[in-house]
Amino acid sequence: MSRYLGDDFLVPVLDPGNTPWFTSGELRVQFCKDCGACQFPPEEVCTACRSHDQEFRSLSGEGTVESAVEVTFPVHPLLADRVPYNVAVISLDGAPGCNAIGNVVNRGPREVAIGQRVRAIFEESTDPNTGETMTIPNWEAI
Amino acid sequence: MKGQAVVVGVGESEYYKRGGSPETEFQLALKAITRAAEDAGLDPSEIDGLVSYMDDRNGPLRLSAALGMKDLKWSSTPWAGGGNNSSAAVQFADAGVSGGYANYVVAFRALAQGQFYRLGSFFAGARSAQGDASWRHPYGLLSPAQECALHTKRFMHDHGISQEALCDISLACYANAQRNPRAVRYGSPLTREDYHASRWIVEPFHLFDCCPENDGAAAIIVTTPERAKDLKGTPVPILAASQGLGPNIGTPSFQGDAFPGTFYEKVGETLWQRAGARPEDVDVLQLYENFTGPVLMALAELGYCEPGEVADFVANGALEGPEARVPFNTSGGNIGEAYIHGFEMVNEAVRQIRGDSTCQVEDVELSLAVGGPGYAPGSAVLFGRA
Repeated sequence: MSRYLGDDFLVPVLDPGNTPWFTSGELRVQFCKDCGACQFPPEEVCTACRSHDQEFRSLSGEGTVESAVEVTFPVHPLLADRVPYNVAVISLDGAPGCNAIGNVVNRGPREVAIGQRVRAIFEESTDPNTGETMTIPNWEAI
Repeated sequence: MKGQAVVVGVGESEYYKRGGSPETEFQLALKAITRAAEDAGLDPSEIDGLVSYMDDRNGPLRLSAALGMKDLKWSSTPWAGGGNNSSAAVQFADAGVSGGYANYVVAFRALAQGQFYRLGSFFAGARSAQGDASWRHPYGLLSPAQECALHTKRFMHDHGISQEALCDISLACYANAQRNPRAVRYGSPLTREDYHASRWIVEPFHLFDCCPENDGAAAIIVTTPERAKDLKGTPVPILAASQGLGPNIGTPSFQGDAFPGTFYEKVGETLWQRAGARPEDVDVLQLYENFTGPVLMALAELGYCEPGEVADFVANGALEGPEARVPFNTSGGNIGEAYIHGFEMVNEAVRQIRGDSTCQVEDVELSLAVGGPGYAPGSAVLFGRA
């Protein structure tokens, strides 16, 4: 699937924390193997119990819109012909308290309601500098 | 709790629209600092401490040479964010003086966004997003306006707040700026109709919900009450200052119980405890408004009212003018006076105690300046009478 904001829009620089999210083709969130708490984005320690023993677990791929806005002013030059677009905060099913940023790609910029149920999709992208391929999670309204 | 340090001088450059300054940012910084020293009756070479924030480009090496400082004994800058630290800079100056590390500490901020990049378009040239930004920027969430909009939209949804409450904040700033010849928006009044007719930036923010980006600098001189006796400036005690950061807000600040919000509960708790005061005791309030929405959330978090009462709290001109129920951003604030990253509001809070504001509230005993809500650690500083 092509990207909501254009295939040439800026890509994440992969690092050990974000690689599971951006390359696995599923929603992978960090859980603590000692206390079971989840956290997003990942951190090098469990902020609930201080354990360093953590793992990434796959989620169901569904979530709920917690907030969404229409962006009208294009901050980035590559967005000049993409506005208006929507940006949303999505709470992740199966990971209480964990909220991801995303776009609801099958809704208009003003048509994303708080409470809307959404399902993850994956946008294929390549880092032009490193050639690394990615599957960037994004969302569609169910 | 009575503070030990006092503000004994305030100064600022002229304020300009972005790109309008005939002077460089460094020259603006020097002008603000030397005017603050002149206001205090202090030779600038006596300054021995420098505090700023957000990696102000006008660092201690250049400044100490340019000011003729003989011995820089205290330089410090609070971590993280931006305008959230405008009041923390005063706290650090207080700490340097009260701890006996320096005698005359300057706290200041200089911004020439014509000479340098605009804060709001910091990432405009980026082709990739590293670290924290990797979770937001690939989705087109790039600017503080957009981040604050997501919080504000949910807060308005949860508490039944209409667009009019945002408009009320902007109108108060513009109305107060009409009294202040320093203000960039002096002579440019705003009506409710103008507000609603203005273009959208990011819903729910119209153009007039967003502060402009400006060129200018503002500074204060902080010293001990004893040293102040030998200076001509009116001493204004720093009664209490605080920084605060709630538990585990998450790096990009959209997590769990911290969403929606501006992370200012702890700032308020510490401030009121140190000051032995409550919001209703404060006579005049300067509350950083990079955007109108965070003001509504911060009012509730600081204890001014319940979240569900915010719209009524700001309605019907409750914030406008010196006789307002809650005199607010009396110089015009970031929106109306100038966006000097909130430090112009510190100067205004000091002026309200001295009695020389252009929108002077009667018999001010407590004057509060709150740094930028929505970014953490937040900060606030309460000034009182000597």
